[in-house]
Amino acid sequence: MADEKKPVKLPRTAKGKKPVYFDTTTDKLISMVLTLMGEVSVMRDRLDTVERLAAKKGVFALDDVETYEPAADVVKVRSERRAAYIARVLKSVQDELDALQAKDDGMNVDVVS
Amino acid sequence: MIPQKMHAMFAKPNHDEASRQEFVNDFRVHLASKVFPGTFPTYFGRVLPAFVKANGREPKDRHEIRKVMTKDSFYQLWSAMQRNSQEMIWDSVIDSVERQLPDLMDRAKHTKGKGSLTLNPDVVVPKYHTAADIHLQPGAYHTDSGPDDLAAGAIYDRGTYIYSMGGLGEENDGLGRILHKFFRKQYPDMKVARVLDMGCTAGGSVTYWSTQEPGTEFHAIDVGAPCLRYGHARAKAVGGNVHFSQQNAEKTNFADGSFDLVTSHILLHETSRPAIYNIMKECYRLLKPGGVMMHLDLPQAHGQTPLEGFLWEWEIYNNNEHFYGQLRELDMVDVVTKAGFKPENFKVHQVSSTWDDGQTPYSTENFTFPVYVAVK
Repeated sequence: MADEKKPVKLPRTAKGKKPVYFDTTTDKLISMVLTLMGEVSVMRDRLDTVERLAAKKGVFALDDVETYEPAADVVKVRSERRAAYIARVLKSVQDELDALQAKDDGMNVDVVS
Repeated sequence: MIPQKMHAMFAKPNHDEASRQEFVNDFRVHLASKVFPGTFPTYFGRVLPAFVKANGREPKDRHEIRKVMTKDSFYQLWSAMQRNSQEMIWDSVIDSVERQLPDLMDRAKHTKGKGSLTLNPDVVVPKYHTAADIHLQPGAYHTDSGPDDLAAGAIYDRGTYIYSMGGLGEENDGLGRILHKFFRKQYPDMKVARVLDMGCTAGGSVTYWSTQEPGTEFHAIDVGAPCLRYGHARAKAVGGNVHFSQQNAEKTNFADGSFDLVTSHILLHETSRPAIYNIMKECYRLLKPGGVMMHLDLPQAHGQTPLEGFLWEWEIYNNNEHFYGQLRELDMVDVVTKAGFKPENFKVHQVSSTWDDGQTPYSTENFTFPVYVAVK
């Protein structure tokens, strides 16, 4: 199984100068809104899958969803998923931080040498 | 989105990954069909009149149009969304490739089939590939994390399918189909013992060729090792027969006169001006007397209106296709003549972007690819 092997991290940001369309902050907001658009769509699809499967198999009634209370381990899983979600939406902010960090590192090297 | 055909090397997305990829596709369809058309009324309705009022004349070329259009709020917003959609393609595809990479690398080793793979770690990836990640694929074609890494190829194969909104066909090899169909229309009876495809990336095009010409020995080269590893495994998986090797098309290790036919599929616009001169010289050296070269690529600037030219060049300024600007200006007659071909043996054909009768074309109804053809 792939999951038992060493996890891989692939590059996520393309090398090259990023154009400025409005200003850097507005551009980031556009990225955030579009990413959210995508994620809402993904969530709606997933919910649609669940609803259809539930209906098809007669697994649960709608009322079961309304009265559901998550256990501690479920709360933890949801929290981790939410953290990954937030990082995805705020990727443009992280990109800038990474670039600043890279510059800082370069300057420190200069100072030391 | 029309489903892409599965094969043993396909990085199958899970539920949410598939949903994310479908969203990017649908978003891009919306941008292309509902938002992008707004650039025309924007230009003719307010940008052009304002330019004429200020200058007493119309813009003389695409560069003048770019200066004013990039300040228009509608164009800026379309452009920002288009750029984001491109980034979202790769992000959505990297999710599923990253998750399955160890498994994909295993599958590559165990997939049985024909052809071969020869890597050469001494090949230097040229500056035109390392300067910026072309069409924003993070890590581009060449970023290599280890001896079995094939991520770049797997990402490219799925990412370009979404980029083209399925327009390259369910096997994502439409460019190969277009050029092969054109080749056999031009040369129905030509015997081809050996063919070289330059800049093959994930090998979709050349692999298709190899399934259509079973008696022919196919070679394919690229500088990106992860693309070649994936390309070889994919070719095996889909029943192709191609010998992949890591080489720069500007200078290969094949002997003079090795090939009857040398092809490329959208390679030239991702190399530099001097590289294109070198590649054509190399083609001339590699061809047997009477051999043919065929390079399918993107349109040049001449023959386009200033507005068309400006719109085509969005890719240069917003999608890390910086080197496309050099191809757009090149005098191709000069290029092939300096390579050794006689000018009367060179022709640029405009080739339809369809490969089956009645098929929906790649982009717009009249879309054609220029194909540069020369006979040695």
